[in-house]
Amino acid sequence: MTDARDIVTSVGELASEGTHDPGMPPAGIRRIPSGVDGLSTEHLIINMGPQHPSTHGVLRVIVEVDGEEVVAAESTLGYLHRGIEKLAETRRFDQLGTLMDRGDYVSGIHGEQAAALAVEKLMEIEVPSKARWIRSLMAELTRIASHLVWYGTFGLDTGAMGQFLYAMRDREAILDILEAVSGQRMMFNYVRPGGVVADLPVGIEAKIIAFCDGFDGYLEEHHALLGGNEIFQHRVKGVGVIDREMALAFGLSGANLRAAGVGFDVRRERPYDAYSELEFDVPIGTRGDAWDRYMVRMEEMRQSVRMVRQAIAGMPEGEHTAKVPKVIRVPAGEVYASVESSRGETAVHMVTDGGTSPVRYHYRGPSLFAVQLLEEILPGHLLADVVMMIGSLDIMLGEADR
Amino acid sequence: MAIDRLTGEHSIAFIRSEQLFDLARSHSLWYMAFGIACCAIEGLMSASGPRFDFDRMGVFFRASPRQADVMIVAGTVNLKMAETVRMLYDQMPEPKWVVAMGACANTGGPFREYPNVVLGVDKIVPVDVYIPGCPPRPESVQYAFIELQKKIRNRTGERLAARRDRT
Amino acid sequence: MLPDATVLNRILSDAGVTARVEETTLGIVAHVPCEMAVEALSALRGSDLDFHMLLDMLGADTGEGIEITYHLRSLSRDEDVFVKTEVAYDAALRSVWNLFPSALAPERETAELLGIKLDGHPNPKRLLTTDGVAALLRKSVAVRSAEEVRAR
Repeated sequence: MTDARDIVTSVGELASEGTHDPGMPPAGIRRIPSGVDGLSTEHLIINMGPQHPSTHGVLRVIVEVDGEEVVAAESTLGYLHRGIEKLAETRRFDQLGTLMDRGDYVSGIHGEQAAALAVEKLMEIEVPSKARWIRSLMAELTRIASHLVWYGTFGLDTGAMGQFLYAMRDREAILDILEAVSGQRMMFNYVRPGGVVADLPVGIEAKIIAFCDGFDGYLEEHHALLGGNEIFQHRVKGVGVIDREMALAFGLSGANLRAAGVGFDVRRERPYDAYSELEFDVPIGTRGDAWDRYMVRMEEMRQSVRMVRQAIAGMPEGEHTAKVPKVIRVPAGEVYASVESSRGETAVHMVTDGGTSPVRYHYRGPSLFAVQLLEEILPGHLLADVVMMIGSLDIMLGEADR
Repeated sequence: MAIDRLTGEHSIAFIRSEQLFDLARSHSLWYMAFGIACCAIEGLMSASGPRFDFDRMGVFFRASPRQADVMIVAGTVNLKMAETVRMLYDQMPEPKWVVAMGACANTGGPFREYPNVVLGVDKIVPVDVYIPGCPPRPESVQYAFIELQKKIRNRTGERLAARRDRT
Repeated sequence: MLPDATVLNRILSDAGVTARVEETTLGIVAHVPCEMAVEALSALRGSDLDFHMLLDMLGADTGEGIEITYHLRSLSRDEDVFVKTEVAYDAALRSVWNLFPSALAPERETAELLGIKLDGHPNPKRLLTTDGVAALLRKSVAVRSAEEVRAR
């Protein structure tokens, strides 16, 4: 997949961002002073992205290599900066979900949950238990769908192809369910302040259970297909070790943090929606390498299926939404609401003034923190492992750039 | 022009060479793996997945712009990205086509009010097919490719007709 | 979840920081003057409350200046605290990256989108936008009007 196009030395572009030193030779190859033994090594600057099949969106990583070894890296963001935070200041409170959907676009429900929880906290709305259970059910289905996208593309990064097709097959099955419930495949806008926009359709429970029954077996197959592959194991084991201290220092969250051995899961530590009533395990890793991150996410999918089954079995009766005025006016205040999304702690930090729109709306995207960690973790790795690092961190640029 | 009109046992077809090439091109539209935002999940990933399987239409992704015929602009283009989009378009060999997928690539979509967002990718590169939707379903993308195939097959005929009209 | 406000007050005053600690809808918020923000964060990080993680950092245009909020978390005690400080529009924000490396990108983002300068940051260039783009999160920068969009 990789070809000569990768070796684009784009000092001309760097210049527009104010890093190019006019005293340097403009060829993109920086000459470092000769060593003591008189041998000089040329460092090569390699640009990856924003169009690169392995950067999972429009991430741009500029790596400086000495032979095959990375000596410095810089991740450049902003190719998808489209003003979610600014535009939220012009939106009504029930419209925030549409923006959040497009932030982390592979797991939209989680963003919607964060926005809805923030509004509910300030308005002190009591959400009916059925709505809370539907939200958790949808969130866990979305988590499986999101992890499947990660699983498929992570395999693509290692050079495997088959698992992508199987992952997409299962994802389509989930999207059918999500579409039946919410009316959209990706941009649901289903979770609203006070509850969800509509009750579950008749007969969806049987479809979800049928999916779970099938997926239990498929998940084993997925793991055998990719994780059981010796080439894959060689490429991820011991690669990209992020230890506990580094993970905390760089603000990692979600599966990346848990793979580093920190068992923090918002669903368990700060339960929202129905998670205090659902039973699930939080898998944690021991070494913090790419393999641990792979294993944690695979186990999370299993736990999600477990929660989906519980949510179907224990779905309470009642209303799907609380009584919320048509035009929502949120009392003045400031609130922080976080959820455990597929990528980590997705949160909304909102300032309101009693009007119909937020005054300041901050969206914490966990991927931003994973992206900035790349600069720290890539040096010392081989060039071929760069895509393993990016892939294993499960980066979503929509929420990093916002 | 359908391919079966040209084939058949012992059949001989008289066709302009450019039309023959266009016929071949329309069945081998390789798009560049260049997903910008949400639409990429639908239009590039789901599309190459097993359910929609664009491969059967000869539509398949290539990693490099040098090998691609079609650029699907799948997502919001902002000022920082605009230069890259143009650069990638310029790197593609002729003939090349652009599909603007989704509301953002068409007009700026839900982010049109943000000053950093380009109001439609047709400000940067010429667009052949626009797909509405946010995001469009993979079926819409499939339909767009069918329309693009028609456009490619008809272009020689249209050019000849235009020349006839002039003279 | 919520740390003890009196303990926070004691830690901050021991470090020589004049702080106002209050409980709001956000949680426990410590207001500190701009020039002492780094000392306050350093004291909280080193204290036995163990705020080792800077979860997030954001700025907001209040109309009189930029209000910076640091969100610290202590995983061992499972507590969150918000440290707020005011920066004037034309002033520089002192970087806290050597205390909390997770502030590296959010600081750059805050500085460019709110139009303030960064002091002591190892890489203080723009993160999200290109040169010439206004400080988009300032209240004085308006979004496009419907007419502008229609006349695209």
